Amino acid sequence: MPLLDIKNLTLEIDTGTQSIKALDKINLTVNSGEIRALVGESGSGKSLIVQAIAGATPPNWTITADRMSWSGNNLLSMSEQQRRQILRKDIGVVFQNALASLDPSVTLGEQLEESLPDQLVEGNWFWQRKQNRRKVVVSTVHKVGIKDHEHYLRAYPHQIPTDIGQKLMLAMALISQPKMLIADDPTRGMETTTKVQVLKLLSRLNQTRSLGILFVSHDLLAIASMSDTMTVLYCGQTVESGKMKNIRKRPLHPYTKALLDSAPSFTKDLPPKSELPTLAGTIPTLQHLPIGCRLGPRCPRAQRDCVNVPAVRKIHDHSYSCHFPLHRDKS
Amino acid sequence: MIRILLRYLVLFSLTFLTLSALSFSLVYLFPTEPVTTLTGITPQNLVQHEALVTQYHLDDSYLVQFAHYLGDLFNGNWGVSLFSGEPLLDEIMLALPATIELSAYAMSIVLVVGIPLGCYSGLKAYTGSDYTINSVSVVVNSVPVVWLAVIFILTFSLQFGWLPLSGRINLLFDIPSQTGFLFIDILLTDNIDTARALKDAFLHLILPTLAIAFISTAALVRITRRSVIDVLNQPYIIAARAKGLSSRQIFFRHVLRNALLPALPLLAMQITTLITNAMIVETLFSWPGIGSWLIQAIYQRDYSALRMGMLAVSTLVVMITIAIDLFNRLIDPSREKYESVTI
Repeated sequence: MPLLDIKNLTLEIDTGTQSIKALDKINLTVNSGEIRALVGESGSGKSLIVQAIAGATPPNWTITADRMSWSGNNLLSMSEQQRRQILRKDIGVVFQNALASLDPSVTLGEQLEESLPDQLVEGNWFWQRKQNRRKVVVSTVHKVGIKDHEHYLRAYPHQIPTDIGQKLMLAMALISQPKMLIADDPTRGMETTTKVQVLKLLSRLNQTRSLGILFVSHDLLAIASMSDTMTVLYCGQTVESGKMKNIRKRPLHPYTKALLDSAPSFTKDLPPKSELPTLAGTIPTLQHLPIGCRLGPRCPRAQRDCVNVPAVRKIHDHSYSCHFPLHRDKS
Repeated sequence: MIRILLRYLVLFSLTFLTLSALSFSLVYLFPTEPVTTLTGITPQNLVQHEALVTQYHLDDSYLVQFAHYLGDLFNGNWGVSLFSGEPLLDEIMLALPATIELSAYAMSIVLVVGIPLGCYSGLKAYTGSDYTINSVSVVVNSVPVVWLAVIFILTFSLQFGWLPLSGRINLLFDIPSQTGFLFIDILLTDNIDTARALKDAFLHLILPTLAIAFISTAALVRITRRSVIDVLNQPYIIAARAKGLSSRQIFFRHVLRNALLPALPLLAMQITTLITNAMIVETLFSWPGIGSWLIQAIYQRDYSALRMGMLAVSTLVVMITIAIDLFNRLIDPSREKYESVTI
C-alpha cells in the first residue's frame, strides 16, 4: 500500500470574482522508501500540492479529490485531530521559503524542540526530558550539516543566513522521525557542495530508514541522480509520471521532452555554440488558463483535439496525458 | 543593554530640554509681564519688581535666563499659582497622581478587555461575531468622550441613582493626601472605616474609568484584530500547522507574541489619547486631577499654572511613550541592537 495516494486532486481558489482551478486532477503516489520527484517550472502548482497535503490551506481554497489517503486512511474525511497527529508523527514538511517559515520571535532551538513529539523524548522527570530533548535537537542539527549548534540554536531567524535556515527547516521536518518527507525545493539557492551534502543526507535516510520522500524541485540534475520516480507537472496538470529512467530514456509527453532537453547535460550531442532547445512562450498565469490541455498554446505537436482535456493513459506504470504522445505514432 | 538604556536616556533628556524651552518661551508669549508669568507673583511696587527681576535673572540674556529656569525646575522652585498663591509644585503633585490613577485603571481595563476581544475577533476573522465586534468597536471609537460621560451620568447617576455623580470619594471621609493615590492613602489612614472608604472610592471610580476605557478599548480591539489577522497569514503559521501543532498551541506560542509586538507602539499612541480623554472626563466628574486643574487655570488666566501644567503633562506623556518603546525594544528580538531610538 502506498504511503501517500492522491487521485484527481483538484484545488480551486476563489478570488471573489471567479474561481480558478489551480490544480486540475493531479495524481500522485509516494510509496514507502521511494523518492518521488515532482518537477515543473515555477507557477506549475508544485507548492500548492505541498500545502494541500500539509493541510495548511487558506479559507478561500477548496480541495476536492477522489482519493487522498495516508497509508489507507482518508485524509480529507478524517477529523482535524487525527490529521494533526499524522502531520506530527508521520509527515515532515519543508516549505519553500525557509526563513519566512520560521517564527521571528522564537529562538531556533525552541522551535526545533517544539517540533519534537513527546513520545520520542526519553526520561521520566522533566530535567531528564529536558536534557534528552536538547540532545536529540543537537544531534539532528549536526545531522543536517550545521556544526556550530551553540550559536545557531540560540539565534533568531533574522540573524541566520538562508542556507542555515533551509537546513534548520529540514532538521525540523526530520526530528520527528517521519515516514515521509515532503521537501519543497529544500536546496534552492544553495551552493553546490552544500547541496550535495543535503541530497546525500536525504538518500541515506531513504536507504537506512526507508523514508519516503516527495522531492519538489526544478533542479533536474539534482533530482535525476537520486529519485526513483518522477511526476511532471505543468500548469496544475500532471502531464507525465513514471519511473525516472523510463522517462529520461523515452519521454512520452512533449512537455517532458522539452523540460529534459532544456537541461544541457541530458542532451549528449549538443554541438558547440548551438542554440539551447527551449519551449517557446511562458507558463500562463492562473487568471488566463487555456482550456483543454493547458500546454496547448505552447505545444509543438498541438492539434485541434487538444482543446479537450486528454485522458490519463497508462503503459505499465508509466502514465501520461496527451492526445499525441511522442514515440507512439505508429500504434 | 546599558547602551540601549543610555540611548533612551539621551532621547528623553533632549525631548525634555525642548519641552522646557517651549514652556520657557511661554513666559514671553503670554500677554502679561514676564515676571508675573514666571513667578506667579504680581509685583505690587517697583522695589518688589526690581527684586524679582534680579532674583530670576530677567535682565540677562535669554540663554542665561533659560539656564536659571532649568535650575529652578530641578530645585522644585516652580513658582506659585497666580490665583491661589500656592506653590505650583504642591498643587501639581496633588492633581497629577489623581489623573495617573484614573488613567491607570482605565488602561488596565482597556488591556484586559481589548486584547482578548481583539484576538478573538482576529481568530474568527470575517465571521458573524467578528463583524459584530468590529462594527461595535468602530461605533464606540467614533463616540466623543464628553457625550459618553454625560450619558453615563444621566443614566447611572441621575436616572437610576446607582453610582455617585462626582468626586473621588464621599466628603465625609477625611483622607489626608500622602502619596496622592487614593487607594493607598485610604489604606495608610488610620482612624476611618477602611472597608467602607474603599467601597465608596471604588463606586466613585466606576463611571469615569468606564467612560475613558470604552473608547480606547474600541481602538485597541481593532489594532489587535488587524495584527492577529496579519500574523495568521504569515508562512510561519502555515509551517506551524504543518508541524501538527494544535490551534491552541499555535495561538499561544506563535500568534500572540508576534501579533502584540507590532501592536505595542500603536498602543503607546493610544495612551496619549487616553490621557487626553481622562483630562476631559475629570472636568465632567469634578475629579480633582490635572485636567480639571488645567481647565480651571485657563478660566482664571492663571498663566504660571498653565505654563507648569503643560510642562508636567507633556513630560509625563513623553516618559510613558519612551518607556513603552524601551519595553518593546527589550522584548522584541527582531529589533536590532543598534537601531537608533525614536518617539
